[in-house]
Amino acid sequence: MKPSVELYEGTRIALSSLRANPLRTILTVAAVGIGVATLLAIVSIIQGLNASFAHQLESLGTATLNISRTPQISMGPTWWMYRNRKQLTVPQMQAIAAQSRYAAFVVPELNEESKDITSRQQTASGVDVTGTLGDFQRVGGYEMAKGRFITDADSDNERFVIVLGSQVAEALFPDRNPLAESVRVDSRPYRVVGVLAPKGSLLGQSLDLVAFVPFKSFLGVYGKRDFQIDVALHDPKDLDKAEDEITGILRRARNVPPDKPDDFSVFRAEQLADIYKGLTGALYGVAVAVGIITLIVGGIGIMNIMLVSVRERTREIGVRRALGARRRTIVVQFLLEASTVSALGGVLGTTVGLGLAKLVSAVSSVTAVVQPLTVVAGVGFAALVGLVFGIWPAARAAQLDPVEALRHE
Amino acid sequence: MLIRLEDIRRYYTVGEEEVHALDGVSIAIEKGEWTSIIGQSGSGKSTLMNVLGCLDTPTSGRYILNGQDVSGMSDNALADIRNREIGFIFQTFQLLPRETAQANVELPLVYRGLRARERHERATAALEKVGLANRVHHRPNELSGGQRQRVAIARALVTEPSLLLADEPTGNLDSATGEEIIRLFEQLHSAGHTLVLVTHEPAIAARCPRAVRLMDGKVVSDGPGAQVALESRAERARAAAAAVAP
Ligand SMILES: Nc1ncnc2c1ncn2[C@@H]1O[C@H](COP(=O)(O)OP(=O)(O)O)[C@@H](O)[C@H]1O
Ligand SMILES: [Mg+2]
Repeated sequence: MKPSVELYEGTRIALSSLRANPLRTILTVAAVGIGVATLLAIVSIIQGLNASFAHQLESLGTATLNISRTPQISMGPTWWMYRNRKQLTVPQMQAIAAQSRYAAFVVPELNEESKDITSRQQTASGVDVTGTLGDFQRVGGYEMAKGRFITDADSDNERFVIVLGSQVAEALFPDRNPLAESVRVDSRPYRVVGVLAPKGSLLGQSLDLVAFVPFKSFLGVYGKRDFQIDVALHDPKDLDKAEDEITGILRRARNVPPDKPDDFSVFRAEQLADIYKGLTGALYGVAVAVGIITLIVGGIGIMNIMLVSVRERTREIGVRRALGARRRTIVVQFLLEASTVSALGGVLGTTVGLGLAKLVSAVSSVTAVVQPLTVVAGVGFAALVGLVFGIWPAARAAQLDPVEALRHE
Repeated sequence: MLIRLEDIRRYYTVGEEEVHALDGVSIAIEKGEWTSIIGQSGSGKSTLMNVLGCLDTPTSGRYILNGQDVSGMSDNALADIRNREIGFIFQTFQLLPRETAQANVELPLVYRGLRARERHERATAALEKVGLANRVHHRPNELSGGQRQRVAIARALVTEPSLLLADEPTGNLDSATGEEIIRLFEQLHSAGHTLVLVTHEPAIAARCPRAVRLMDGKVVSDGPGAQVALESRAERARAAAAAVAP
């Protein structure tokens, strides 16, 4: 028999057999469908998370090095290892600015987290207040909605001016232009000189609940303390070389002997991406494993049902063999039946899975991303499951002795 | 010579015991002959038919069918031989219950790889030949026993096989319907078909030009149907007498 005829006849037989047992078909389709739906929904949601994270990370500026006394991210109680490190100083920062070939901007960054800012009527809580210089606007990639950013002159003259993040401005001045208005941070008045354009959020944290004040003004209010040096590069490709270069500059400026390790830490936004990837990678792995287990359960369901089908149709198999069907033809017939039912499950699962992803997108802040390839893979994978779990029943059908099969009741 | 069996043996092992279903059968059948195989239940008739139809492989012996040595052929080759050379007619009809008469008759042509149009034409012609031209779209459960057996005969004829094999074809039919089927076989014989008909009824064997009687897997007589039928009746009477004797 020609393969094309074999496929055509096999499909015809498969469909007629599936139609003959509607309940059984529906149950098997559902079993596979649930597996595919789970897998697809999870994959779409995670891909959505990834896409929005990548987008957010871009806005953070990946071509940036952050230098601080102690590591920004550390696992476990390791602070004592760093307690003898000396603070970073403004001259050290100036040394980097003067000597580095890769640095485009070098700015200090001082943070007071979770502050209350008040206008005459309103309060904005949980605002991160940063003391910095003019170039920070470029380093952090901030766009102005109104007014201007902090300038170096503001810092040199220790002016009490402030730039508000969009969410803060919205909270404090819901119906008024904030420019030239006065706000208070820790009961000290600042004049608003600018409002930032919205930046959205990163890992669920708003990037717009922020405010910027001049570096020296900040030092004057909150005292001398650790600050971080942000270095923006001309070219993101130079990240490795820049890190080496700046490490060298700082070691010289801080008189670190050659046999001693660095007494400061360099952090890249890239590392954040790595941590994130590690996290979602684990989640991805667990989710895919769950989906695959569900599919395997569906596959075992298919195998079971195919075994029942083979037993019920033993005589039919005997008749087909007596009339000249080769073993392979019988195998093809049952494999087609198994993969047809599981592909149907794949289609159902895809529909439901996409629906679930849409639903999650609608009710939460997560936007699921549905890639066409995911859909094709979902249906294809389901059919493959049917094929794999159909092999044993199909082989059993083909191995039946025709005489025995014809005698079967 | 269409069929030559040389010392065919078919042994089954059942537990400790070896059952000799066929125990050295040698027969030859010419093209166009109508032969019946007669014998009591368990004498090996069905086993012989399965061997003749290449459904079963003998334990030993040689089987030449239409010039080809079938013994030791591969499973695929045997499937093709069944498709091209053999037409089976079973006591229980063995039709596919979900398919129409037409589809049932087309089935062997599917395995031959014919196109739908040619299958359709040949199946329609075969159903006409057995007098079922007006039942092509019926499913087996919508047909009487006799009509079902006619569908099965059409299915056996549709490939124009060199050998028609029927195992107790009237066994599930009432005597009037059985008679119609036997008449149909007479017609097929006159048309030149080679027929082997398995039966346990001497009355049917008597109507065949030739009959082969089996007992315990051995050929005990081979001759004109009427004569072998007589022997068979006598043997049965003896067996019955022995059973009631003290
Ligand atoms: N698959 C089998 N396994 C064991 N014994 C069998 C098998 N098939 C047939 N036999 C035995 O072989 C003998 C002949 O059987 P069979 O050819 O069916 O007889 P008949 O058709 O003449 O009634 C019987 O004794 C039967 O029990
Ligand atoms: Mg029998």
